[in-house]
Amino acid sequence: MKGTQLGEFEEVVLLTVAMLHDNAYSVGVLEVLDEHLGRPVSLGVVHRTLQRLEEKKLVVSRFGEASAERGGRSKRLFTVTYEGELALREARRIRNQLWAGISETAFGH
Amino acid sequence: MKPKTFQPPRWAERLIGRIAASHLQEEILGDLFELFQKRNRRFGLFAAQLFYMLDIVLLIHPRLWRRAPEKVKPSLYPANSSTPNPIAMLNNYIKVAFRKLNRHKSYTVINTVSLTMGIACAVLIFSLVKYHLSFEDFHTGKDRIFRIYSELHGEKIAYNTGVPNPMGQAFRSEYAVAETVGRIAFLPKRVVSLPSNNRFEEDIAFADPEFFSIFNFPLIEGSASHALQGQNAALITEQLARKYFGHSDAVGQTLRIDDSLMLQVTGVLADLPDNTDFRSQIFVPFGNLQRHSPWMVEKDWWMSVNKEMQCFVRLKPGISAASVNTTVLPAISNTHYDKEASKYFRFKLQPLADVHFNMELRGKTDKKNLYTFAWIGFFLVLTACVNFVNLATAQAVARSREIGVRKALGSQRGALFWQFMTETAVIATAALVVAVALAYLSVPVVNQLFEINLSINPFNDTYLLAFLGSLLVVVVFCSGAYPGLILARFQPVVALKGKLTQSSPHGFSLRKGLVVGQFAISQLLIIGTLVMAHQLRYSQQANLGFEKNAVVIVPVPDNQTSKISALKSELNRLSGIENVTFFDTPPASDAIGRSNIQFDTRPEHEQFMISIKAVDNQYVPMFKIPLLAGRNLNPSDTIREYLLNETAIKALGLKTMDDAIGKAATINGRRGTVVGVVKDFHFRSLRTAIEPLCMTTRGEAYGSCGLKINLSDMSSTIARLQTEWAKIYPSSIFTYRFMDEDVERLYKLDNVLLRLIQAFAAVAIFVGCLGLYGLVSFMATQKAKEIGVRKVLGAKTSDVLWLFGKEFLQLLLIAFLLASPLGWWFTNNWLRDFAYHIEPGPGIFVLAIMITMFVAFFTVGFRSIRASLANPIKTLRSE
Repeated sequence: MKGTQLGEFEEVVLLTVAMLHDNAYSVGVLEVLDEHLGRPVSLGVVHRTLQRLEEKKLVVSRFGEASAERGGRSKRLFTVTYEGELALREARRIRNQLWAGISETAFGH
Repeated sequence: MKPKTFQPPRWAERLIGRIAASHLQEEILGDLFELFQKRNRRFGLFAAQLFYMLDIVLLIHPRLWRRAPEKVKPSLYPANSSTPNPIAMLNNYIKVAFRKLNRHKSYTVINTVSLTMGIACAVLIFSLVKYHLSFEDFHTGKDRIFRIYSELHGEKIAYNTGVPNPMGQAFRSEYAVAETVGRIAFLPKRVVSLPSNNRFEEDIAFADPEFFSIFNFPLIEGSASHALQGQNAALITEQLARKYFGHSDAVGQTLRIDDSLMLQVTGVLADLPDNTDFRSQIFVPFGNLQRHSPWMVEKDWWMSVNKEMQCFVRLKPGISAASVNTTVLPAISNTHYDKEASKYFRFKLQPLADVHFNMELRGKTDKKNLYTFAWIGFFLVLTACVNFVNLATAQAVARSREIGVRKALGSQRGALFWQFMTETAVIATAALVVAVALAYLSVPVVNQLFEINLSINPFNDTYLLAFLGSLLVVVVFCSGAYPGLILARFQPVVALKGKLTQSSPHGFSLRKGLVVGQFAISQLLIIGTLVMAHQLRYSQQANLGFEKNAVVIVPVPDNQTSKISALKSELNRLSGIENVTFFDTPPASDAIGRSNIQFDTRPEHEQFMISIKAVDNQYVPMFKIPLLAGRNLNPSDTIREYLLNETAIKALGLKTMDDAIGKAATINGRRGTVVGVVKDFHFRSLRTAIEPLCMTTRGEAYGSCGLKINLSDMSSTIARLQTEWAKIYPSSIFTYRFMDEDVERLYKLDNVLLRLIQAFAAVAIFVGCLGLYGLVSFMATQKAKEIGVRKVLGAKTSDVLWLFGKEFLQLLLIAFLLASPLGWWFTNNWLRDFAYHIEPGPGIFVLAIMITMFVAFFTVGFRSIRASLANPIKTLRSE
C-alpha cells in the first residue's frame, strides 16, 4: 500500500509527534524540529506533513482546549496510531539492517 | 503591556479566513497567533510581523483550501464503500436503463426515431463527402501531379481544361522541371467493333505511355514498360476484357475503333477505382490521334485549345507549382506566341486534388455543395439531440421521485449522472445501429441520383467506423449531459415531496431556446427548398428563346459531306419528319467553342471572344429562333456567311443591327459576310449570361442532326429513322435523344441537389415534429389538472387549445425572425451563380412560415385536442 511509504521528513515529524506524546501539536512540533534539525522549518510545511500523515492514518488528531496564548483558539493534538508505530519501527528496522550490512572498512577514507 | 501591540495584522487574519478551508482555520489561526506571541517576546514586534507574513506566504498550497476529505468524517459505513465504482455499477445502470426505457415507451420511441433519422442522414452525408474527397487520392506522389490548363484572357478570363496540342512536347523538352509529362486526349462515344462483329460505344483515351507512370492504374496482364509503345497497341480494363472476350485471353485480340483504327490489345488494366474521374476504359497510343481524328492535332497548332486535349505532369521533387506558374508557363506563352497572342493564351498548373472540384475546369462536384451537405448533416444531428434534451429535461421532473429515493438511499451526483448517461447511450447506440442499416439501404438511391458508386460498410471502412464512434460519443454527451446534470442536481427532500415543477425559470427558457432553434433549422431548410424549386422551375420553363419540343437529336458519327447530304435527303423523304437540320451543338449546350473576331475594316481583333455554332440553313427556322434583321444563311458547306446575335452587335458597338448586315467578319481565321441578326437566346445554361454568338455553315463540324418529328406517330418514325441511318452509317450505333431532355440535363445536378435538400428538409421537419409531439404530450400530462380546473370553471375546448397554441406560436415566430434573414442570405448566395434568376419574394418566406405553422399546429393540435377533451372529473380525481 502506498500509504506505508514514509518520506524522510514525514519520518522525522512522526518521531517528533511520538516524542511530544501528549502535547504534540503543530507549533510544538515546529519548535522541536527547529531545535533538532538546526534549520528553520516553516509552519506550512509542518501543517501539510501532519495532514498527509493523518490521511495515511499514521496519526489521529483531536482538538485540545482553547488557550489565551493562542488568542482563544484551540490546538489540534496529534497521536501516533498503531499503523504509525508500525511504520516507524519498519523504517528503523530497514535502517538497522542496512547499518548492520556496512563493514568497518566501508568508510575508510 | 497593552494587548493591542500583540495583535498580529488583522488583514492577514482575514486573508486566512478567506482562503483557508473551514476545518483548518481554527488550527492555523491559533498556530500563527501563538508563534507571533513567542517571536514577539524573543525578537521584537517588527521581526515577529515579518515572520508572520513569511509564514502565511509559505502556507499557500492547495492543501490550504482543499476541503476536508469525506473519510475523515465519522461514517457509519466502512470507509472504502462510500465511492461507488462506475464500472462496477455499469451492469446495474444498463439494467435500470432498459427498465426505464421499457416503461416510457413513447418517450423511447420518439427519441430513438429522431436520433435514427438524424444519424442516418449524417452517415450518408459523411460517406458522400468522404467519397468525393477521396477522388484521385490513390496515386503515388499525388502532391506533385498537376494538370496544365489554359486561361484565355479576353475581355473576361475563360478557363479551359485543355492545352494546345504541342504544349506537352514543349513542356517536356524545353524545361527540366517535370519528371514525367503525359498527354492524353479523351474522345467520348466512339464505336468499338470486335472480330465477332459485336459493336459497342465506348469512351476512348489517346495517351502517352508516360500517363501510366504518372497515375496508378496498374496493369494486370501485359508488360508495363511496353504497354502503349507500339503503333497499334491498346490497353483495356479487366471489366471491358470480360465484356468483350468473356473468359478467353484478351491480350492479342484485335479491336477496331470507328473505321479508322485497327488495334491489338497488349495489356489489361485493373478495373478503374470508383474514386477517379478518368473513366475511359480503352487507352490507345497518343500518336494514333493523327490517324483517328486529325482535326485535333492539325499541324501542331498553338492557336486552338480543345478541352479534351489535356496534359498532366509530375513535377520533380522540390519544384513548387507556384514557381512553374510564374516562370516556366509564362515563358512558354512568350516563346510560342507573338506578343498579342501571348497575352491571350496563359497556362497554369492545376493540382490533381482540385480536378474533381473545380467547377470552372469541368470538375464533377462543387465543394460548396459538399459543405452545404455537411452543415445540413450537422443540423439534423443537432435537431435530434435537441429533441432528446427537450424531452429528457421535461421527463426529469416526472422522475423526481425516483431521483429522490435514490438520493435518500445514498446515491451520489456522479452515480446519478452516469446512470442517466447510460440510458442515453443505450438509446443512441440503438439509433446508431438502425441508422447505419437505414443508410446502407438508401445507398442505391443516392448512387442512382448522383450516378456515383458509393458504398457504406462500417466493417472495412476505418474512417466510417471512427466517425460512427465519435458521433456516438458526441450525441450521447450533447443529448445526455444537460438533462443528466439537471437530474443529479435535484434536492432529495424537494424531489421526494414532489414539489419540483417544470417552471424552474432557467430550465424552461433553455427548452424554449432549443425549440426555437429547431423551428429555425426547419424553416431555413424549407426556405432553401422553396427557392431552389422556384429557380429550377424558372430555368426549365423560362423562354429560352428557341423551340425545344418535339425535336429529336441524332448524332452523326462521320461528317463527310456526301454522307450528310445523303442522310438529309433520305430523312426529308420520311413522312413523320417535318424538318431536318445539321449542326455541331444544339441550341442549349455548354460544349461550345469560342474564338476571336475581326470585324469589317477594323484593323485589330475585337476585345471579346465570340462563341461559334456550326449550323446549316434549317437551324434557325427549325428551332424558331427569331430573325431580327437581314436574312437566314444560304445553304452551303463551307463558311461564307455569318449570323450574329444581339449581344454580339452590342459588343461590336454598332448602333443598329442593320449596320452589321453585309459587312465582312473574320472569325477563327475564316472570312465571311454577316447576313443577319437573330434575337438573343440562351445558348448555354441560365447560369451564364448570354454572350456574343455567331452561327455559320461549316459542314465538317456537324456532329448532330436535329429532327422535328410528328409526335402522333413517333415510335414508327424513329424506327424508320433508324433503318435509314443504319444504311448510311453501317458501322455505327444508332442513338437518339430528345431536345427537352438535353435542356434538362443542364440542370441535372441542381435537380439532384433539390431532391436531396427536399429529403433533408422533410427529415428535419419530421424530427422537429416528433420532438414537439413529445413535448406537448408531456405538457398535457403536467397540465392535466389545470385543464380540468379550467374546464370545470367553464373554459371551452378552444380556450384550452389556445393554452397550448399560443406558447408554440410565439416560439415559431421568434424562430422565423431568425431563419428568414439567414435563409435570404444563403439563397441569395446560391442564386448569384445564375445569370438569370428569380428574386425570392416575400411569398416564399410567408409560405415557409405557413408550412411550419401548419405542421406544428397539426402536431400540437393532435395531442392537445385529446388533452382538452379529457373528462375533467377523471383528471381531477386522480391523485
